[in-house]
Amino acid sequence: MIDFEEELKKFQFSLEVEDAEEAINSLSREIDMADLLLKMMEKTEKEEKEEE
Amino acid sequence: MICYKCGCRLSEHDFCTGCGADVALYKRIMFASNRLYNDGLEKASVRDLSGAIISLRQSLKFNKNNIDARNLLGLVYFEMGEAVAALKEWVISDNIRPKKNIAADYIEMIQANQARLSSINETIKKYNQALMYCHQDSADLAIIQLKKVLSNSPKYVRAHQLLALLYINSEEWEKAQRELVRCSHVDTNNTTTMRFQKEVERMLMPEAAPGKGPVKKKGSGNAVRYQSGNEIIIQPANVKEPKGISSLLNLGIGVIIGVAIACFLILPGQIRNVKADTSEELRKVSENLDAKTATIDELGQKVQKLQDENAQLSEEIASYQVNDDTLKATDNLMMAVSAYLANPDDLEAVAAHLEALDEELARDEEDSSKYKTESYMALYNGFVDTVRPRLVEYYYNTGYENYRSRNFEDAIPDLARVYQYDETNVNALFFLGISYYRTEDYDNAKETFAKVIDNFPGTNSASQSKTYLAEINNTEAR
Repeated sequence: MIDFEEELKKFQFSLEVEDAEEAINSLSREIDMADLLLKMMEKTEKEEKEEE
Repeated sequence: MICYKCGCRLSEHDFCTGCGADVALYKRIMFASNRLYNDGLEKASVRDLSGAIISLRQSLKFNKNNIDARNLLGLVYFEMGEAVAALKEWVISDNIRPKKNIAADYIEMIQANQARLSSINETIKKYNQALMYCHQDSADLAIIQLKKVLSNSPKYVRAHQLLALLYINSEEWEKAQRELVRCSHVDTNNTTTMRFQKEVERMLMPEAAPGKGPVKKKGSGNAVRYQSGNEIIIQPANVKEPKGISSLLNLGIGVIIGVAIACFLILPGQIRNVKADTSEELRKVSENLDAKTATIDELGQKVQKLQDENAQLSEEIASYQVNDDTLKATDNLMMAVSAYLANPDDLEAVAAHLEALDEELARDEEDSSKYKTESYMALYNGFVDTVRPRLVEYYYNTGYENYRSRNFEDAIPDLARVYQYDETNVNALFFLGISYYRTEDYDNAKETFAKVIDNFPGTNSASQSKTYLAEINNTEAR
C-alpha cells in the first residue's frame, strides 16, 4: 500500500537555472576515490621521509 | 591513462615507467570508474535511465574527471527532463576539459536558444509550484500545474510520477496507470515507477495476475470480472429471470413507484403550473375590474357634471322666462308709447296697451319687482303723467256712458281706472260704488262708499253714500 505522505517526501524540488551556478561550484569541490588515494599516497610518502 | 604523479602514459605494469610510482591501486580505481561508465552506457542504451544514473554517478565517485561518464550523465538527466542537472554536469565537464569536449556543444545548443532555456526554466518552476501545492494539500491545483509541465516537457519523469501519485491518492487508477506507462516509455526500469505501477495494477485487477493482458476469471462471489483495456467489467453470475407471482409483484411495485413519482414529482409541478395560470387569470380579471371601476367612476362624474349643467341651464331658462314676461311688459309699455306718439288722439289704443300692461303687472305682481327698474318706472310714470288727463276723460266718458245706460258691469272697470288715475274724482268713485251696488257686489260697494265718505266728507256724494251703505246693511241684515 502506498503512503502518499511518505512518497511525497521523496520528491525533491528541481534546481532552477538561477541556482545552477552554486550547484556547479559545490559539485566541482567533490572528492572522488582518486583524490582520496592521492592524499593517502602523499601522506604515506611524507611519513616515510620523516622516518628516514 | 596517465600517471597521477608525473603524467607519463601508464603501461600494463603496476608502477609508472616514468617516475616509478605505485599506480596499481590508482589503475584499479580508474578501471572501476570506466567499468561503471560502461555499465551506465549499457543501461542508457536500453532506456534504463535511472539505472544508468546510478552507475554513472558511481563512476564519477571513483573518478570525477571521467568526462565520458559525466557527459553521459548529463545526457541521461536531459532525457529525463532534468535540464538544469544536465547543464550542471556539462558545465563541470567543460571546465575539466575545455577542448574537444562534446559538453560544450550541448551547452551551446541550449544557450543558443533563449526561448527554449526560458521554457525549461518555466517548466521547472511550475513543477516546483506543483510540488508546493502537494505539500499544501491542494491536489487539484497541483494536477493542473503538472499537466502544464508535461505539455511543455513530456519526458519529465518526476512530473509523471508525481502526477501518478496524485491520481493514486485520489484513486483515479486508470489515469495513474496512464502516467506510469508514459514514465516507463522514458525510463523503463525506474523503481518508483514500478512500485506505483504494481500498486495501481493491484487496485485495478485485484484478482488477476498483473501484466497478462485481458483476463477472464470467475469471481468467488456472484460475479465474473474481466478487464478489457483499462476497463474492468463485472458481470453478475447466476442471475435468474423472475417468473410468476414475483413478476406480478415486481410489476405492482413498479406501478406503485410510478404513481409515487407522479404524485411527488410530476403532480406538484402541474399544481404549480395551474396555480400560476390561475394567478395570472386573477391578475388579468383584477386589472379589468380596476379599469371598469375607473370607467364607472369617470362616467358617474360625467353624469353628475351633466346634472349640474342641466340644473344650471334650467335656471337660465327660468330666468329667460322671467325676462320674457319682462319683455312682454316692456313691449306693452313701448307699444302704448308708440301708439300715443303715432296718434295722440287714439286713446283707445293707448288705453288698451296700458290695460294689457296692468294685467301683466297684476299677474306677475311678485316678479314685477325684477323688471321694475328705475328707468322702466321713470318711463312708465312719465308716460302716464303725460296721458293721465286725457285717459281720465276717456275712461270717465266711457264708464259714465255705460253707467247711464245701466250697463253697470261694463262701467265698473272704466270707472275704477278713472279713480286709479285721478283719486280726486269723487263722481267716478261714487258712480263706481253705485255700479257695485247694482251688480250686488256689496263688499266692493261698501268699500267704495266708505272711501267716498272718508275722502270727500260733506259732499252730496258722501251723504248719498251713507244712505246706500245703510241700505246695503239693511239688505244684508234681512
